[in-house]
Amino acid sequence: MQLSRWALALADDNGCSGSTNAAPVSVTSLPNLDERTLVAEAQAGSRAAFEELVRRFDRDVLRLALNLMKRPEDARDVYQEAFLKVYRNLHRFRFECSFYTWLYRIVTNVCLDHLRRRQARPEDQAPELIAGRHEEGITDFFERQREHRPTLDPERSMMGQEIKARIARAMERLSPRERVVFEMKHYQGLKLRAIGDALGTTEETVKNSLFRATRKLRNELGGLR
Amino acid sequence: MSPFGKNGFEKGMNCRDLAPLLVFYVCDEVNEKERELMESHLASCKACSDQLAEEKGFHSALVSTPQSADELDRSGILLSQCRSELEEALDDLSAPPLEEHWRPLGWLRRWMALRPAWSGAMLVLVGILAGAQLVPWLQRNSNNSGQAMNVRAPQPLTPEQLRNMVVSGVSFSPSSGSDSPTVQVQISAEQPMVLTGNADDSRMRQILTQVVQNSERYDAGMRLDCLDALKAAVRDLQVRGALLNAARKDQNPAVRMKALEALREAAGEDDVREAILDALEHDSNPGVRVEAVNLLVGSLQSEAPSADAPATPEAPVVAPAPTAPGSEDFEQVVKVLQELQRRDPNRYVRLRSAAALRQIGPREVQ
Repeated sequence: MQLSRWALALADDNGCSGSTNAAPVSVTSLPNLDERTLVAEAQAGSRAAFEELVRRFDRDVLRLALNLMKRPEDARDVYQEAFLKVYRNLHRFRFECSFYTWLYRIVTNVCLDHLRRRQARPEDQAPELIAGRHEEGITDFFERQREHRPTLDPERSMMGQEIKARIARAMERLSPRERVVFEMKHYQGLKLRAIGDALGTTEETVKNSLFRATRKLRNELGGLR
Repeated sequence: MSPFGKNGFEKGMNCRDLAPLLVFYVCDEVNEKERELMESHLASCKACSDQLAEEKGFHSALVSTPQSADELDRSGILLSQCRSELEEALDDLSAPPLEEHWRPLGWLRRWMALRPAWSGAMLVLVGILAGAQLVPWLQRNSNNSGQAMNVRAPQPLTPEQLRNMVVSGVSFSPSSGSDSPTVQVQISAEQPMVLTGNADDSRMRQILTQVVQNSERYDAGMRLDCLDALKAAVRDLQVRGALLNAARKDQNPAVRMKALEALREAAGEDDVREAILDALEHDSNPGVRVEAVNLLVGSLQSEAPSADAPATPEAPVVAPAPTAPGSEDFEQVVKVLQELQRRDPNRYVRLRSAAALRQIGPREVQ
């Protein structure tokens, strides 16, 4: 599993009690500026600094959104909504925690909102479920690209799809929070403390959520190997 | 309470304690003490070791499953789309909102847009209130001000203004009692105005006199209207001068006749009587001459009792009180009338002159 840069950053982060030390602004090129300086510049109204911040973290944001939402259009909504929230509320960021943590908190909250809304609508289902049941009915562009890759081993691909569909179905049984915690732990590689910071809750609560999520998945998936 | 919340493993860890911690063990979320105790137990417990192996297998299967992000945006197109959309949204946020400059009652419009039923009810209520309160108020207001505009400039008009002005209309409204009629004059000048008042107003007299004196600029109808209005101000010397001038020189006989009529109140004055006699002798229009005869007779008759009776308390305002005609004046009047009776080309004038001589005859005897 490839850990995101966020995961590494959050793993070293001391939560909201820590702060990054700002380096003196001696480099004019934005990509070379440290995170704190970029945030300060963006808070002062620099659109370029904000866009540089977006480019540093948006790949991970989209990845998290895709993994959680399972649908590109939903992930796109989460991406847009999260970064616009960051843009509007950047002046409220007081460097009491790292920008990573703050951003991650916003993204996960947006994801949770979307998942909860989706859960309230029975007609919404994860695309993996649909794909698993109606293999010929794939309409998504990205899905089609995947299906037509010639280098993929057909047998392995089929098994992978089978497992993936089962996991997706099992994941649907989880609560939004359990799902986010499981995703952030196993697919984003975050430490439980960092997940707690991102979700604005305690490590103990996150631990409980992860335990329940794993138990539910074990029950659903049985002897998955 | 969490099964793994407390680390109360002073006496070592048993299978029951270890089971809930396996989930966290495989994902490296146990502390050093827990790890040490777990590994110590696992070394001696095959059942728990098997359980750990199963947990590891399950975990491995889960994390090795292709993730949605790996497949859904392998080409990076989605990320590119997201970035473009975000930039557009940021453009919208950064751009100054065009309609925010001036949005009167924007909150009300938003409120109404979101609550159509309430908005409809509110509009109906506003309509009822407007109908019940505003319309009667407007009616009261319109009743109070009968005139379209009432401009009463305190300063008299300068000769320059009088020369440049053009009276575009004169209208009368009857007055109550003995007051002079109210006149409304529309004036086209540098500053168009509408003057409302009566002949007591000096500005009004100025304007009306100006119209009477300028027969070349104003038509006969307007001059006649002004003469009517000026009738009440015949005691004013300036007005009287204009009337006398009009009676003698106006090109229009109706105006001359009207001017004589306007002078009736002052027919006993010397200057007026001279003008009347001039009209009798020189005016080409028989109607004017008849009017002059009538005025002359009227003035002589009105003077007759004044010689016997005490003077009337109504003294003239401006001009001196009429004096009793002397015998020279009287003789001149008789002489003129006799001339008319004999030589006037108009039969009616001759007859009227004869009748006038008869009317004033007793006076002649006296």
